[in-house]
Amino acid sequence: MKAWKTMVAGAMSVSVLAACGGGDDGNEAASGNNNGGNTNETAENNSGNSNEGNSGNNGGGEGDVSGDITIWGWNVAAASMELAVEGFQEQYPDVNVTVEDIGREDVYDRLTVGLAAGGSGLPDVTLVETDRLDNYAAEFPDGFVNLSEHGFDEHEDKFVDSKVEAMKNDDGDFIYAPWDIGPAAVFYHVPTFEEAGVDPESIETWDDYMDAGEEILSATDSQMVPVDIAADDALFRMMLNQQGAYYFDEEGNIDLTSDEAVQAMSAIQEMEDRGLVQNTDGWDGTVTATVNQTVATVPFGVWYSGTIMDQAPDQSGDWGVFKLPAFEEGGNRNANLGGSDLAALSSSDNPEAAVAFVEYFTTDEEAQVAALDEYGIFPSLTEAYENEFFAEEDEFFNNQPIWEMFAEISEGIPAANYTSDYARAFRYSSDAQADALLQDTDVAEALQTAAEQLANETGREIN
Amino acid sequence: MNKQQSKGTVILKKIGLYALLLVGVLLSMFPFYWMFIGATNPSGEIFSIPPNLTPGDHFMENLQNLNESVGIWRVIFNSVFITLTFTILSVMICSAAGYAFAKYKFKGRDPIFFMLLLAIMIPYHVTLIPLFQLMASLDWLNTYYAVILPNLAYPFAIFLMRQNMRSIPDSLLEASRVDGAGEFRIFFTVVLPTMRPAIAAVAIFLFMFQWNNFLWPLVVLGDSDMHTLPVALSSLVGMSRIDYGQIMMGTTLSTLPIMIFFLILQKQFISGILGGSVKE
Repeated sequence: MKAWKTMVAGAMSVSVLAACGGGDDGNEAASGNNNGGNTNETAENNSGNSNEGNSGNNGGGEGDVSGDITIWGWNVAAASMELAVEGFQEQYPDVNVTVEDIGREDVYDRLTVGLAAGGSGLPDVTLVETDRLDNYAAEFPDGFVNLSEHGFDEHEDKFVDSKVEAMKNDDGDFIYAPWDIGPAAVFYHVPTFEEAGVDPESIETWDDYMDAGEEILSATDSQMVPVDIAADDALFRMMLNQQGAYYFDEEGNIDLTSDEAVQAMSAIQEMEDRGLVQNTDGWDGTVTATVNQTVATVPFGVWYSGTIMDQAPDQSGDWGVFKLPAFEEGGNRNANLGGSDLAALSSSDNPEAAVAFVEYFTTDEEAQVAALDEYGIFPSLTEAYENEFFAEEDEFFNNQPIWEMFAEISEGIPAANYTSDYARAFRYSSDAQADALLQDTDVAEALQTAAEQLANETGREIN
Repeated sequence: MNKQQSKGTVILKKIGLYALLLVGVLLSMFPFYWMFIGATNPSGEIFSIPPNLTPGDHFMENLQNLNESVGIWRVIFNSVFITLTFTILSVMICSAAGYAFAKYKFKGRDPIFFMLLLAIMIPYHVTLIPLFQLMASLDWLNTYYAVILPNLAYPFAIFLMRQNMRSIPDSLLEASRVDGAGEFRIFFTVVLPTMRPAIAAVAIFLFMFQWNNFLWPLVVLGDSDMHTLPVALSSLVGMSRIDYGQIMMGTTLSTLPIMIFFLILQKQFISGILGGSVKE
């Protein structure tokens, strides 16, 4: 009797501990901690194998690469890769490619479980969003093929500068291959601006933007900008990025209390105080506000163009785009929001073919332009910007050559350090935004609190 | 006079009651109606203000698109096959296990039962990765085995059956034994029939569990041919571009079987609740 009680008590405490380990972190990738030892071992074996098989084959000889590869992606990104399969097979006729269209969060769930389980059930290539890269690289350092060992370094100059750094591990090797980028700008509703008599060209600074917002509000009842106050700080991130700042500095120290951060959050608070902010509920709320013009502008990444075209097909010609306003006249008006990249997994049975696809897809101008043309996914491959597609005027967007504008923005985006704690920083920063806008907390104070909480959770230093 | 008045009040009370119930019905029906509206309209329509409350003519188009993106018929087959197989097998295993825990005295019964209770408390995410590893080494990924087998002995269902089985009088079992029935015969012909309401409740619970199960089928069923409804629906949600018409169509299709299953078992379920109320 006594024996089983001890046993059960033991089992209980183990299960409680395990529960804490798995449960205290909303971030899926962290669940890999529990199995870390095991994982690394297996992954190392795998990557060892793959390197052996590849030595002397840097740069990829087209002829001898063959086999089947599977790729995970979501939605239009998966569809874009599907488009590229044909072109890929012209170069690599013996490789069969299967693109699996999985939900975005679902890719991460399966990727995390598969990596934590030592590489079972994984694809050969996967899509990962740029702000999650560091997280996976930190949790599963041996989970992905080192692309530099396959000669990816030669492509370094072909991509937008701000994108390249985020692709590398601590040793400066490419772990990920850069794909799409999210140059940010302000989408505005042309008839609303005309009705209020506001010229979008005249908006150069955030102060201009707020003044225009007030005019529009009094003339049309449309508010200026949608913000999902408690859940998403997208506007804040764009404002940080345009000033060359972010949640973290280059060393990975917490930078939420910087002058730039205070200036950005103060601007958003002022917009709220002047009645220009519509507090939208989640993604659907933002789309509803856009489609019904309860807001006159939406500052977002280039990918939002596809959303507007899909959800408001009858508003063709009613939408235009202008660059993000700057903080002072002549200041930087370029920022990034979003973006995703490709990685080849070390567990792949066919790493040469996986790397070949990653290399082909991310560096092929035609594949990149096709993805933009069909699905609005914007390349970070600067070569592609020379393509005539970029000079075209877009009918939906008021006959503006918007792609050219986004290309120009892309090249001026300052680099940002996302770090492995991006998800946590995002949460605390959004909390700070809610404090500042909904509770009228002093901006510097709200950001200080966020920075301290983040420091407590991550052990990083505050600047 | 007095009598009439009270009759009048009764009617009034009834009207009030029905009005209240009607409000409840409308409130609970509205989401389903909205879902149906979404399923019959083009994607952007769902965002219009004021909301469009009339069914549109995009029913077939949404269905076609949905079938093109996820292969909806195969997905429905997977869901129905997995859920029914799981429910039937699991009800058998869990009721047998519950019976054993309730009615047999064997060495280690109580500690084993206690362990079972502990198992209810283990969060799902803790077992996810080890279980996944197990499936991978059995080479069961992308097979129906991986979704059906691991949860067959569902601790909560065993617990529920055990509690219900305790109410069977020992004398009944003893009488059957005296009459010469074997243990299996007793279980199938004496015990199970008296347990129908409990079995219906557990079956509904297990059916819902498996029908809505998401994370596990997501990680073990990689091929799109093997996807279940929740997994397939989730794959429709991309980043910035979502076809709500398809999603609403998919959700409409995925709620139907649950409704049908509940309607079939509801008589058992309700007679179970009432059955205990009158004891003679």
